[in-house]
Amino acid sequence: MSAAGTTITISDPYRLARGPNLARGHGGGGPATKRVIVGYGFWLFLLSDIVIFACLFATYTVLANATAGGPRARDIFDLNHVAIETACLLASSFFCGLATIAVARRNQILIQAALIATGLLGLAFILLEASEFAALYARGDGPTRSAFLTGFFTLVGCHGVHVTAGLLWLGTMMAQFFAKGFRPDIGRRFLCFSMFWHFLDIVWVAIFSLVYLVGTRL
Amino acid sequence: MLGKLTWDAIPFDQPIPLISGAVVILAALGVLVWVIAKGWLPYLWKEWITSVDHKHIGIMYVLLGLLMLVRGFIDAIMMRAQQALAFHAQGYLPPEHYDQVFSAHGTIMVLFAAMPLVIGIMNFVVPLQLGVRDVAFPTLNSVSFWLTATGALLVNMSLIVGEFARTGWLPYPPLSELRYSPGVGVDYYLWAVQISGVGTLLTGINFVTTILKMRAPGMTYFRMPMFCWTALASCLLILAAFPVLTATLAMLTLDRYLGFHFFTNEAGGNAMMFMNLIWAWGHPEVYILVLPAFGIYSEVISTFSGKPLFGYRSMVAATLFICIVSFCVWLHHFFTMGAGGDVNAVFGIATSIIAVGTGVKMYNWLFTMYGGRIRFTTPMLWSLGFMTTFITGGMTGVLLAVPPADFLLHNSMFLVAHFHHVIVGGVVFAVLAGITYWWPKAFGYRLEEFWGKAAFWFALAGFYVTFVPLYVVGILGMTRRLQHYDVAEWRPWLMISAAGILVLIAGAICQMVQLSVSFLRRNELRDTTGDPWDGRSLEWATASPPPVFNFAVLPQVQDAEAFWDVKRRAREMHGSGSEPHYEALEMPRNSPTGFVCAFFATIIGFALVWHIWWLMIVGLVGAYATFVVFAWRDVPEYVIPAEEVARLDRANRIARQEAPYGASAI
Amino acid sequence: MTIDANGHDPEYQDDDRGGASDEHSARLGTYVLGFALAVLLTIASFWVAKTDLIYGPGIPVALATLAVAQMGIHLVFFLHLTTAPDNTNNVLALAFGLLIVGLVVFGSVWIMAHLNHNLMPMQQLMQMQR
Repeated sequence: MSAAGTTITISDPYRLARGPNLARGHGGGGPATKRVIVGYGFWLFLLSDIVIFACLFATYTVLANATAGGPRARDIFDLNHVAIETACLLASSFFCGLATIAVARRNQILIQAALIATGLLGLAFILLEASEFAALYARGDGPTRSAFLTGFFTLVGCHGVHVTAGLLWLGTMMAQFFAKGFRPDIGRRFLCFSMFWHFLDIVWVAIFSLVYLVGTRL
Repeated sequence: MLGKLTWDAIPFDQPIPLISGAVVILAALGVLVWVIAKGWLPYLWKEWITSVDHKHIGIMYVLLGLLMLVRGFIDAIMMRAQQALAFHAQGYLPPEHYDQVFSAHGTIMVLFAAMPLVIGIMNFVVPLQLGVRDVAFPTLNSVSFWLTATGALLVNMSLIVGEFARTGWLPYPPLSELRYSPGVGVDYYLWAVQISGVGTLLTGINFVTTILKMRAPGMTYFRMPMFCWTALASCLLILAAFPVLTATLAMLTLDRYLGFHFFTNEAGGNAMMFMNLIWAWGHPEVYILVLPAFGIYSEVISTFSGKPLFGYRSMVAATLFICIVSFCVWLHHFFTMGAGGDVNAVFGIATSIIAVGTGVKMYNWLFTMYGGRIRFTTPMLWSLGFMTTFITGGMTGVLLAVPPADFLLHNSMFLVAHFHHVIVGGVVFAVLAGITYWWPKAFGYRLEEFWGKAAFWFALAGFYVTFVPLYVVGILGMTRRLQHYDVAEWRPWLMISAAGILVLIAGAICQMVQLSVSFLRRNELRDTTGDPWDGRSLEWATASPPPVFNFAVLPQVQDAEAFWDVKRRAREMHGSGSEPHYEALEMPRNSPTGFVCAFFATIIGFALVWHIWWLMIVGLVGAYATFVVFAWRDVPEYVIPAEEVARLDRANRIARQEAPYGASAI
Repeated sequence: MTIDANGHDPEYQDDDRGGASDEHSARLGTYVLGFALAVLLTIASFWVAKTDLIYGPGIPVALATLAVAQMGIHLVFFLHLTTAPDNTNNVLALAFGLLIVGLVVFGSVWIMAHLNHNLMPMQQLMQMQR
């Protein structure tokens, strides 16, 4: 083995991974590209976040019947409201996909437009959710009313907090694309952001199906 | 203005915490003044506090862990002394103080001593063994460490400002709910554990990514050293389990701060859900600790037996088996809660099955030693001590896994003796073995053997004298956490146990003497070859201590199975043969992000504990600003020129060529 | 995962080959199709929840099935999770995560159901006996 021929430095430790067969199979291809590393790390973070939601789902399920004389699920859920929220979030996710395409094409105007649409729809979702929560509070059916409502507010609210954090992140992303253009590190961050946003959609699918839809039928 | 914080929070009427707190503060101030007077502050700031080098972060983790180990050990001494004195008497610790001592002991030992020690060794060793230059996310690594340190700081702050939880190391509701624990103790616990938990989760992400995506070229999965496999399994468990802890403690926090009803007695809350969830984290947690420990033993036993690890693949399989099954056994912590025969049977059987994986490992270690030329160095002694101790602890564990037996022994001193056998025998011995084993790699000189062996023998003897009597009093019916008692037959056993702790103290002193003596004699003990033990994996292929970039040229891993050969080849490339072609390297730039994050996390945590809302907002804004500044940074890396790389590596090559391999091995 | 060969700007392409959600695999068609499927499944879920045409106790099962299907759609079309070799680790990590989620959720619900059955509050027990 000639050491000189296979020298790898950290400025390009990724060259090997691009070799035809080394990266496949048993993982002998050397360090992966930075983009793969960042994407994978964020993927793991999302999985750990899913576990948090799993705990909240489990707790909600266990406490769902502990209404302590307060309202039951079917007394407080308004499916039309939920349908609009769902529509907002789905469309938002779609626009986030458009932004991904715009980033690949390096089209600044399209990126900003798609991200604004993503953000506005996300904001609409949050406002709708906030109005639902506010209405429940106003009726005295806040999270302190019963264990069921505690579980409900925490599960749905946790998703809402994630969406809010996502909106803050989205604003930062728009500013970074605007100020710094298409650097690889900005591209990697956007990759993480888009994964986060689509992931929130998946959590919402579980919430509207298992909390709202099943809840109204039980 | 200051929320619940008043002068009453300082325990002026309780001499023990007041004096010990004052001593700790004075010592810390003294060290600070000394460092400033010597002009070391810039060095500390540049090379350690803001460092994103995995080796420096690893060493800081171990240092934090050792400090907390001492703190937890002092708590242990206080408890043994209390139980030795409190026969038909009150002892010297009033109940509310004694309750804090045992809660702090458990919390500190598991979360702030064992975890940092294990994670610290992972930090130092894993990238070196994988043959790469750093972890996947170096700055995040620094953030992880400093968040862990924040948690430790908050726990220790509770000694002087306010109080700590009186609920045990897992704050079971309804006792931990606001109605029954109105003080700030549980809040300290919640925020300290929560903040350090975030740090641990980030570490898990970091290391799984590093191990799966960043190995030296040619290092396939089945060429990874065993310690990397166990670190991978442990970090996978962190990823899966720590979110459960975060969620559970967040629920308890919501109960306490906002009047929610997750675990309350009122409004339909269900306290049993807390036990269920917390142990869904708690059981994997013990495997998070013990799997890397198994990895350390594998490395040590293989090296000092002069043989490749026996049954490498079965070891990997057993590790991954334990990783999965550890998530199927959590109910055995509350067999007595009343889930009934079906549920108890399933979890009891799963618990017995998980012992099979550990059994496989035991036999692998035995067969690794069989036929080998064993060198009885200090790390090897710790490993042998582990094997006997862990088998005893494991057997009593299998006994406890049988639900009917557990109904008799649940929450008794028998249980206390059992988990100390597995955690002290498993994790603490491993950490001490690992520190002795990798010390020359970290600092360039070996640890002195005489005092190391003395520390081992005192610790082993002291351990048995302390904990075997606890099995006996457990069977005699003594429950855990008793502040005083009046059963005459327990008394002699508790006295023996207290005597045992004196022997353990002797062991701890020997350990400290060993560190000091070794430091003073460091020139005689110098390791110039980078391979003091005739080791078998890649970390021994670089200099001791390794240069900041670890490997001037990333090693090419070629051999299918034996790390021995892997190292020989790596060494040929580094030590002898033609000089490699050096290129300029880019390394991640130091960053104060971690330290600044921890600073704001401390403020947020303290403000939340004492309900100082304005201060919390200040902290949150500061943390967000830190995030934005970090995200806005343009040049995250700096370049080491090729000549500098060559200069550093040539020195190492010369030293290696002068010393024949294994010459300095004992 | 498709690795895009019709070169984009080399400067930007610097180090971004492979990996989950590679933006080079981003195609408008993929997102439109995924979006359409997701909308269809959502409408189906809401319809199932409101309809009386389906056997009542079967509804939660139907909703759960639809939800799982929709999550799969999102994973494949939006997060570009496929079984291509580059994605092995991502898929394995997801499988591990789902296993843990399954164990924690079903384990907890199962344990707590048995507990509630065995340790029913006296009031509720009396009500049931009535």
